[in-house]
Amino acid sequence: MRQRDLLWGLASVCFAALLVFLWHLISAYRLVAPVFLPPPLAAFNALANGFEDGRLASATAETLERIFLGWLLASVLGIMVGAWIGISAFARNYVMPTLELLRPLPASAAIPVAITFFGLSDAMVLASVGFGAVWPMLLATAYGVAAVDVRLVEVSRMLRLGRFSYLRIIALPNALPDILSGMRVGLVVALIITIVGEMLTSRTGLGQWIMLAARSFRSADLFAGIVILGLIGLASALMLSQIERWLLRWRLQA
Amino acid sequence: MTPLISFRDAGVAFGSKQVLEGLNLDIAEGEFVCVVGASGCGKTTMLRLIAGLHPPSEGVVSYAGQAIARPRPEIAIVFQDYGKALLPWRTVSGNIELALEAAGTPRAERGAIIANLIALMGLEGDGGKFPSELSGGMQQRVQIARSLAQRPQVLLMDEPFGALDAMTRQGLQDELQRLMMQQRMTVFFVTHDLEEAIYLGDRVIGLRRNPGRIGKVFDVRIGRPRDQVATPEDPEFLRIRRELYDFIRDTEREPAS
Repeated sequence: MRQRDLLWGLASVCFAALLVFLWHLISAYRLVAPVFLPPPLAAFNALANGFEDGRLASATAETLERIFLGWLLASVLGIMVGAWIGISAFARNYVMPTLELLRPLPASAAIPVAITFFGLSDAMVLASVGFGAVWPMLLATAYGVAAVDVRLVEVSRMLRLGRFSYLRIIALPNALPDILSGMRVGLVVALIITIVGEMLTSRTGLGQWIMLAARSFRSADLFAGIVILGLIGLASALMLSQIERWLLRWRLQA
Repeated sequence: MTPLISFRDAGVAFGSKQVLEGLNLDIAEGEFVCVVGASGCGKTTMLRLIAGLHPPSEGVVSYAGQAIARPRPEIAIVFQDYGKALLPWRTVSGNIELALEAAGTPRAERGAIIANLIALMGLEGDGGKFPSELSGGMQQRVQIARSLAQRPQVLLMDEPFGALDAMTRQGLQDELQRLMMQQRMTVFFVTHDLEEAIYLGDRVIGLRRNPGRIGKVFDVRIGRPRDQVATPEDPEFLRIRRELYDFIRDTEREPAS
């Protein structure tokens, strides 16, 4: 089993290497002008230089902070409101229809609204990320909390659990697998909206970095930024699946 | 002496369908009562009346003289489907602890109680395992341990061994008998297994169906502890067994619904 995992890991690394090699060939034979597509080595040099003089490092740090804060805000809000909707018929009947109206709005449509309220500020980015990323968490929590097996509901009735204890002990743990997959989707949304927000607000960050590099045809810098974004996505997905494996370890044996 | 549980003209209707009708029954403290009947006769509904999970449509079901309107702390339940009744994300200890948390037992006292119940139910060494790592029989032991953690006066069991293989079932029957002799609990046990009902019960209630009602009551005057080999050969056991089978066959000739 372990050996097979290792083999698959190796295969995926080889695949990535193959893509980089293709990229190298395309730029080496000038199939695309280097102004638009830099050779991979140039991109990696730009990456190294950016980190050496600290500009890229601080941009990355700022972006990471915005993604994480926005995602955290969306998670806390989504889980709280989702739990309320999942457990209360009142909330389902009176609050959910309004939320259904807001939900299909693209987060990018919320950005101009956020700008009128918060200006071109960090708070605006945070609010937009929160609005965009809250939905997967909210809906997953509402679903998971409401989908407790009738038998477990009867068990908690027999044990005379109060509403809050029921939520804490039975319903939220029951929703955990759903919540975690909602958080996974939410993280991707948070990353996207953060970058768009940074492009619009011109706050230091990878979004602004990419935007400025593209406008001044510094394609190596542009690709360095994109590579970092990819790595952020990869690293966060890996981290989340590790956390998920630990939290849902009771399911592994099933 | 007043009965611990009593049914007075109790009945249940689901919409226009009368499921149970005119139930009159007294259960004394410490008694082991088994309920049998053809499927659809309302055995489980009768148990749910005592549990307070379902209100009677007419009449009264009472515990120690008080009408049962909702679940009471003195009454615990063991369901047949242990797989759904346990919290899959909690270990064996965690599942037993659930009843203690619900009862507001201080954290410091829980460990000792859990350890006792684990020993009592033969779950030593499994405290840290998740239900998915245990066999069906062991999972049902966990559910019984959890219901005992509630320190109930009355234990309601809804076909608790119905999903287990014969060997495991016999082992658990004997452990249940041992427990009841030790703790003098009152047990209301629903089963479709007639031998099991006679083997375990002080009394066996046979239900008729459509609408469900008490058809015949059998007193089982066989001493305890009973034995898986000797008891089924006891003349008294054989006599009741014959009468019970005749009764059930008779009820099955009535239209189902």
